[in-house]
Amino acid sequence: MAEKIKLIDVSKCTGCRGCQLACKQWNQMPARQTTNTGSYQNPPDLQWNTWMLIRFQEINDGGSVKWLFRKDGCMHCTDAGCIKACPSGALYRTEFGTVALDQKKCIGCKECIAACPFDVPRYNSETGKIYKCDLCYSRLYNGLIPACAKACPTGAIKFGDKEEMLKVAQKRLEELKKEGFEDATIYGDQFLNGTHVMYVLAEKPAAYDKLPLTPTISPAIGIWKDVLKPLSLIASGGVIAGAFLHYVLHGPKKPKEDMPDKSA
Amino acid sequence: MKNDLILATDLKERVIHWVLAVSCLLLCFTGLIMMFHSLNFLAVIFGGLLGVKYVHNYTGIVFAISLVLAIGMWWKEAGIFSMPEDWEWVKAAGGYLWKVNKVPEVGKYNPGQKLFFLTVAVFGVLMVITGLLIWFPIFSGAVTAWMILLHVLGFVVIFAFFFVHLYLGTIGSPGSLQAMTSGWVTRAWAKTHHPKWLAEEEAHGKLIIKRR
Repeated sequence: MAEKIKLIDVSKCTGCRGCQLACKQWNQMPARQTTNTGSYQNPPDLQWNTWMLIRFQEINDGGSVKWLFRKDGCMHCTDAGCIKACPSGALYRTEFGTVALDQKKCIGCKECIAACPFDVPRYNSETGKIYKCDLCYSRLYNGLIPACAKACPTGAIKFGDKEEMLKVAQKRLEELKKEGFEDATIYGDQFLNGTHVMYVLAEKPAAYDKLPLTPTISPAIGIWKDVLKPLSLIASGGVIAGAFLHYVLHGPKKPKEDMPDKSA
Repeated sequence: MKNDLILATDLKERVIHWVLAVSCLLLCFTGLIMMFHSLNFLAVIFGGLLGVKYVHNYTGIVFAISLVLAIGMWWKEAGIFSMPEDWEWVKAAGGYLWKVNKVPEVGKYNPGQKLFFLTVAVFGVLMVITGLLIWFPIFSGAVTAWMILLHVLGFVVIFAFFFVHLYLGTIGSPGSLQAMTSGWVTRAWAKTHHPKWLAEEEAHGKLIIKRR
């Protein structure tokens, strides 16, 4: 199966949040009462029951207001820290290259949260499980496109084969540059061996809230899995072998029974 | 006199030792099951990986309590090096690795045992703190990732050192296991391994002896 990409063209996003609703609906996640904090961004962050949301920003644009909308959610990294950290195999790579989550296997250890460079997985203490976007694996599996892409009325969310989406992104980038968006850029393919969610950004990446400029998995995860994990077996195995050799070559340290006892 | 048995550890010491030991080993076992996908299948013993997580977390509390008791009980005897005799002992490797005519006499615990105690104490406390911060991640994911790393580092050290302890507590040093089972050791054993302690206790009349 060819690798798939979800391409989010923020310059076409109108912030209608149809995708946010479609996501909840398809995944049957409950809505929760929220409070108005003076922003259209609602809820204020990703939650166990909100796997994607539109981030709203108001930018001062030379006296007038400019809106920045960004659809935030799982980036479905090729080098996925969450898969690497997951002890139970609940987080796994699908045939589409995306990162899905088998909740039956999840033990709620929360290690994926520590391993995610995009702060995506959310823990529900009531169910003891992790929740995150699986790029609608149940839909992809059945030949449908993700619910968010299906719901998008402006064509800001596109879904398709990797090669095709990269071309679409490049073409759109050139259009935006021509239209005067000098800082426009493509975000995603240059990180973590390529993410399966990519952006066409109209501004510099730094302009967008909570969008890491250089997303990287913590070196702690790599040292843990690639160094200390094998070392635990090498070290303990070495000690066992050493003890065996000691027993054979040097012999145990026996009490000296025949030692002359001064007090005797 | 020569057949005397000497009490090396009292009941409290032995009980705390074994609670600490069993909880530590259960933590190592359940931790290994979670860390290695190839060992995931052993989770069936605990009714699945979720059961493994619960056993690991709550055994951690038992470990923490027994660790505090063990440190409080032993730090004076096993947590402080007494120079220069301990250093002399280290230079001779306690007579364990090569032929030594006369192993330097040390107190109740030799520097090797002290090193093991200090390792368990320091890394044990590290395991409890990092374990709690992984269980209840109050810090950001970036910080928690380093807590996980320290937790695994502690495992590497404790698990490897455990096998040294196991060997020298059993077949590597015959007569030692009794010190932690019945508590009674032979006079020959005490004189071989802890002559200074034996002499001092005897001089102070503090030795508890069972005559045979």
